[in-house]
Amino acid sequence: MGNEWKISEVISCDVLILGAGGAGLRCAAEILEKRLGCRVIAVTKVSHPQKSHTSTAQGGLAAVDPKDPVDKPIYHMFDTWKGSDCMADQNVVKRIVEAGWEEILWLENRGMHFSRDVDGKLARRTFGGHTLNFGETSAYRAVFEADRTGKGIMDTLWGEVIKRGISFIHQSMATELLFNGDRCVGAVVFSPKSGKFTAIRAKATVLAMGGCGQVFKITTNCRQNTGDHLALAVETGLPVMDPEAVQFHPTGIVGPGILASETLRSVGGILRNKDLEAFMERYAPKMKELAPRDLVARAIETEIREGRGILNPSHGIEHVWIDLRHLPEHVHKTQIPEVASFFKKFVNVDTRTELCPIRPSNHYHMGGIPTNEDGQVLKGPNDRVSGLFAIGECACASFHGFNRLGTNSLLELITMGRFAAQKAMEDLDQELPPLPPDAGSRTFEKFSSYFAGHSKVTVGSLRERMKAVMTEKVGVFRNEQGIKEAISLLEELKEEAQKCGLRSRDLLMNQELVERWELDNLLTSAMLIAQGALHRRESRGGHFREDFPERRSEFDRHTLVYMEQFGKVRIDWKPVDMTLYEEGGPYAEKFGMIERKY
Amino acid sequence: MSQDQDLTLRIRRYDPSTGRSWLQEYRVRAGGILRFTDLLRKINTEQDPTLAWNSSCEHGQCGSCAVRVNGKPLLACELLVENAVKEFGTKEFLIEPITVGPVVRDLVVDLEVAYRRVEGMKPFIIRPRENPYGEGEYRIDPKEMDPYVDATRCINCFCCATACISGPRSFVGPNAIMSCVVRLLDPREDAKAERFKLLHGPNGVAHCHTSKACSHVCPKEIDVAHFVRLAKSLRLKEKA
Ligand SMILES: Cc1cc2nc3c(=O)[nH]c(=O)nc-3n(C[C@H](O)[C@H](O)[C@H](O)COP(=O)(O)OP(=O)(O)OC[C@H]3O[C@@H](n4cnc5c(N)ncnc54)[C@H](O)[C@@H]3O)c2cc1C
Ligand code: SF4
Ligand code: SF4
Ligand code: FES
Repeated sequence: MGNEWKISEVISCDVLILGAGGAGLRCAAEILEKRLGCRVIAVTKVSHPQKSHTSTAQGGLAAVDPKDPVDKPIYHMFDTWKGSDCMADQNVVKRIVEAGWEEILWLENRGMHFSRDVDGKLARRTFGGHTLNFGETSAYRAVFEADRTGKGIMDTLWGEVIKRGISFIHQSMATELLFNGDRCVGAVVFSPKSGKFTAIRAKATVLAMGGCGQVFKITTNCRQNTGDHLALAVETGLPVMDPEAVQFHPTGIVGPGILASETLRSVGGILRNKDLEAFMERYAPKMKELAPRDLVARAIETEIREGRGILNPSHGIEHVWIDLRHLPEHVHKTQIPEVASFFKKFVNVDTRTELCPIRPSNHYHMGGIPTNEDGQVLKGPNDRVSGLFAIGECACASFHGFNRLGTNSLLELITMGRFAAQKAMEDLDQELPPLPPDAGSRTFEKFSSYFAGHSKVTVGSLRERMKAVMTEKVGVFRNEQGIKEAISLLEELKEEAQKCGLRSRDLLMNQELVERWELDNLLTSAMLIAQGALHRRESRGGHFREDFPERRSEFDRHTLVYMEQFGKVRIDWKPVDMTLYEEGGPYAEKFGMIERKY
Repeated sequence: MSQDQDLTLRIRRYDPSTGRSWLQEYRVRAGGILRFTDLLRKINTEQDPTLAWNSSCEHGQCGSCAVRVNGKPLLACELLVENAVKEFGTKEFLIEPITVGPVVRDLVVDLEVAYRRVEGMKPFIIRPRENPYGEGEYRIDPKEMDPYVDATRCINCFCCATACISGPRSFVGPNAIMSCVVRLLDPREDAKAERFKLLHGPNGVAHCHTSKACSHVCPKEIDVAHFVRLAKSLRLKEKA
């Protein structure tokens, strides 16, 4: 092989941001605004930060205006805590919720095109799980930009950071974190466009790399969400927190996985199996289609498992139907126009006259790299890593516990982005420590091994097998036997991957090479999720164990999984922060280990 | 339900290490509601892992997957096989990269220069107008937003710029113009004079020949040409 395994260039900066989605760019914007002349570099795997996954978020962004006559931050904290199935860290919940409105104004003042009410003020809408007065009635708490809130945030942040002189490294990926002793001093970045490896030295490194939804067969997540961050973390000996906490949205459009919003069920859509039976009557005789997300998701998967699903011939995916044909014309036109257009555009189905194919779709990873409330990465229950931050979906602070409420992710991105920036700025006057002498060696060892294999099997086919087993055994339903089967298949796939021979031989925009590296990260992410799921012998939020269908108090704690070598795990636990409960006060009892019933 | 189709895809390939460019033919059997991104992935998995192409969200929301299919710039993740067969009246498709920047490999285009044209139009508030409501949010009547809100939906897929008969060498492109028009109309922007200057600079709206090709191809169905025309007419008003 003529490929050169060397660092082509060493660049130095003050703050290195790995991932330029909502979280990464908010962090960058804060630093550039507060510290003139500060050198910030942001790396993104996509061709431009605007293409980051945050841009697809539709619904909205929750935040309580302190001047609101009816809504209060304490209600938002309660909803988040209850939604999390008592696993969110309360210090983080308090901090994020209290900072929310300030962030909305920050975005609005910088040009975000929020939807407005007739008075020209920010319009608001309701979202599942957000309530007034501790569950009494729905709260109008989400501000939004039509059906493109995430895009509005991204456009605004992108504008702000280019205005203030950020340096972007596009279409490149972080492959290795660099440490000098215990301190993170930067990262190695591979740029397929030039085929070169760069070492970037930084006083602070911020991980903002998004999710890992590509582990599953049906997902709302983008192609780049391959869990690179989880692999980067465990390889350097850091833990991943609550990897088993994965959210599935009950109604994804089959096959592209696109979200078909809850509205479909609230306007009267009926779920049907292959015999056209309205099966929700059997699972939730009173609530039927309006039962909570996780219950609906399990009902659909049960129908499919018991052979009452329908096989989509194009995508080879089994699904059930949502029937909207009986709804009057004006409902299709005025209440569900977006989703109706998605069905038309992506599966060529007319919601007025045809049955629509849906199945639960992987949506969000609550788990991730553990941090404190400032986004500083933790290496143990209380131990910080200096120079390293993690924010956004790749992190686990934990604001969402085991189940994220809609609109709370965007809120987390922008608040945690700011907090991490503020903390990082405290240390920028320090000297920049040198890079370790072996910077890049781990990356080169890996990448060169990818060219050594000879087997004919393709990266794509291994990836498909991983997706299938994770969806089937570690998806909406989990049990000990199934998880163990998945773990042994993952081990097998890892071995097969090592033998896999790449057809493209050079480094320049070698998509096969990138996907081979991503496959390693996906397998690592899948293994972490499976191991977390195996050890949590209870059901909680998005994690449902058929063999332990109830929540159990001995698991009122976060999982920490360490895995320096593939499949060799060490499990530790971290207590849930109960600040709001322990502070006492009139509402303290709302923040105890309450039931998650709606 | 959709039926399987036998398709022939002729894909424009380019190898950066040798500089060679060629057309490669792939025969694919695919279900009618597969999208062109699914087809490309299928080729990678089943026939040829070396073919490089771009995508991200695959929900029609990010604009990463723009290619030319039988000459028409479009989003590959939105094009269903059965719709393509109907719209183009054939089962043979020529797939080529968009033309707004250098090709890196096969269908992957380097968007740095293309995006620099948009960034040159300053897609941010240059100088915020003083907020008459003090600390809080600006008040903007939805009616005041109506004239420009459609333009904010642009995802910079560069389909319009690819279709535009006034090429990127002389013209910044319809989407770049539109990003400037948005802030020209946004009541929060104070730097209106600078906006006019940008729009009417050497690579500005004067290069538009009002062919409307841009509006015709926009996957977001934005009337791009309308906004470009608006930029011109606003200039007239200012002069008057
Ligand atoms: C369809 C959909 C709708 C949603 N709607 C809502 C909603 O209405 N409200 C809400 O609150 N939440 C919503 N969410 C969730 C929310 O959008 C995401 O959780 C959030 O945007 C994640 O933001 P992020 O900044 O953490 O990561 P992302 O926006 O995913 O950004 C990650 C960045 O990291 C880069 N990256 C990845 N790997 C690497 C690497 N190895 N090296 C360098 N860079 C890398 C990527 O290129 C990207 O720039 C939705 C999600 C989906 C999928
Ligand atoms: S105006 Fe339309 S075609 Fe042009 S870049 Fe924007 S979304 Fe794409
Ligand atoms: S109307 Fe103007 S901007 Fe649009 S394609 Fe024609 S020349 Fe280009
Ligand atoms: S991949 Fe995002 S628009 Fe097609």
